[in-house]
Amino acid sequence: MSAHETQDVLAKPSPFSFKSIVNNAGIGLALLVLILFFSVTTEFFLSPNNITNILTQITINLILAVGMTFVILIGGIDLSVGSVMAFAAVIAGKAITLSGLGTAELILLAIAAGLFAGLICGVLNGVLSAYWALPSFIITLGMLNIARGAALQVSGAQTIYSFPYAFEEFGSMLIFGVPVVFLLALFLVLIAWFVLNRTVFGRLIYGIGNNEEAVRLAGHPVFWYKVAAFTICGATAGIAAIVYMARLSISSPIAGIGFELNAIAAVIIGGTSLAGGRGSVIGTLLGAFIIGVLANGLILIGLSDFMRQMITGVVIIIAVILDHYRAKLSSR
Amino acid sequence: MKLMNFAAAAVTGILLSTTAVMAQDKPVVGLVMKSLANEFFQNMMVGAEEHVKARGDYELIAVGMQNETDFEAQINAVDNFITRGVDAIVIAPADSRAMVRPVKRAIAAGIKVVNFDVALDADAKAQQGLELAFVGPDNRGGAKMAGDALAQALGEGAKVVIIEGNPGADNATERRLGFEDTVAEYKLDLLDSRTAHWETEEANQVFSTMLTAHPDIQGVMAANDSMAVGVVKALESAGRTDILVVGFDNIPAVGPMIADGRMLATVDQFGTRMAADSIDLALGIVAGGPDLEGWVKTEIQLVTAK
Repeated sequence: MSAHETQDVLAKPSPFSFKSIVNNAGIGLALLVLILFFSVTTEFFLSPNNITNILTQITINLILAVGMTFVILIGGIDLSVGSVMAFAAVIAGKAITLSGLGTAELILLAIAAGLFAGLICGVLNGVLSAYWALPSFIITLGMLNIARGAALQVSGAQTIYSFPYAFEEFGSMLIFGVPVVFLLALFLVLIAWFVLNRTVFGRLIYGIGNNEEAVRLAGHPVFWYKVAAFTICGATAGIAAIVYMARLSISSPIAGIGFELNAIAAVIIGGTSLAGGRGSVIGTLLGAFIIGVLANGLILIGLSDFMRQMITGVVIIIAVILDHYRAKLSSR
Repeated sequence: MKLMNFAAAAVTGILLSTTAVMAQDKPVVGLVMKSLANEFFQNMMVGAEEHVKARGDYELIAVGMQNETDFEAQINAVDNFITRGVDAIVIAPADSRAMVRPVKRAIAAGIKVVNFDVALDADAKAQQGLELAFVGPDNRGGAKMAGDALAQALGEGAKVVIIEGNPGADNATERRLGFEDTVAEYKLDLLDSRTAHWETEEANQVFSTMLTAHPDIQGVMAANDSMAVGVVKALESAGRTDILVVGFDNIPAVGPMIADGRMLATVDQFGTRMAADSIDLALGIVAGGPDLEGWVKTEIQLVTAK
């Protein structure tokens, strides 16, 4: 941490700075190369239907990754989002299958319940790791188990189903071929972008990742900012749970196993540094696209499941190596 | 070793909170289950608990595991049952090879063992000199029943895809083989076969993409109902009503789908009863009945709208 950086903590937002454009352009270029490759190798890739598919397929990961971006930017990590999503889905599923209420009330109640469940888990993650200054890796690993166990306990390990028709409609609704759930995810990206780049809160999130002590010495309540980052992450897990339910018409307590790793991968591939302080939610959007396009395209060209898994792993490693060089470049 | 066993037994006792003095006249059955996070085994466990209440002439100690691959927990459970001196062990092995040794130890200790749900590996049994019957459904035959229903509805040469379970899992392999038997018998055109790891969301994604690559798919064979639900949702999003789907397990969530034609058929292997039925068989042997032999096939049934 250089003196230069400590002064930089509250510097003007720089989404359009040269550095940021180069960073995101690199990821955008990688995405473009992938898209070009798949559109040449398979005739279906650029078909309207397939584009709709890809947008639907990346939605949940993108929503989780938006929240994850906040946590990683402060130098933390949240391993619990997959389990928290399942827990929120089970709570919302219990709410939406209650009897004696109208459809609209049930849907609103379910959305509120799911969001609240996710939010609470996020608050706990944040308070526990920030108050005792414990590695969020361990706290959220604990939460991963707590939320999964709670999801199984509350549901009795049974899949919850038979939701109101209107709710299920929402999950597969299209506007000009674009899934409404994807627009929701995109909306979250825009909000996150605004918060991170245009508000003091957002700049302090970067600041904490760069130099926590400097932010603290400047008199900011670092504790609450950290709690807020984890709370946002928990809330996005709640939103992802609602989208999951609307898309698949079920709430499964074993849903979302391993989703945290995909969300982290999207953030890292998107150029956000695991060490915190550097990255952008636009990068996360591109990272989620790269993972989604890879998963979709590799099936289309007929690659085996195992090869597909290997290639996804290779891409993650390449992204981290690139990040290493980016870090060197930007510290010059 | 004895001390360790004793310690292990003590720990189990606390964990199971069944430290109460056992009634001397009732036989004790130890039930070793797979992951209770799985709806299928959870239902099985509930079935066994109801069974012990209904019969009332035996005691049940049930142990489950954290996840499908927690072999260690199963081995420990069997060892603890041996130490406790239960009369019978009824076990659904998490791994068909890893469980052979502990089961052999139990039999050597004079405990009657019934192996259900997943068969212990034949080669491993032969190598260890263990002879043990298997009580369970014919996953391959069941999958073929569902596959045949699909093939008969579509006719010879129809274009189909398979959505597989976890690669390497015994029942996933058996079900895939059953579907492939159908493909061979009805000369179906198998366009693609991929895993979705038993999961709804993944099946939804994988199948949407398969449908893009092969818009002419006519039928889908999913290795479990959770994945079939994901396929049905993908078909709804794509606005396709001309593609037939079959699944496996008959979970409650597919009931409405079969009723309104979104799914053609599923297979019920009466999982809820399977543990209870195996306990009945074990108690029969404990009471002096003959040992089981070979493969005791449990009931499977094709479920359609009719």
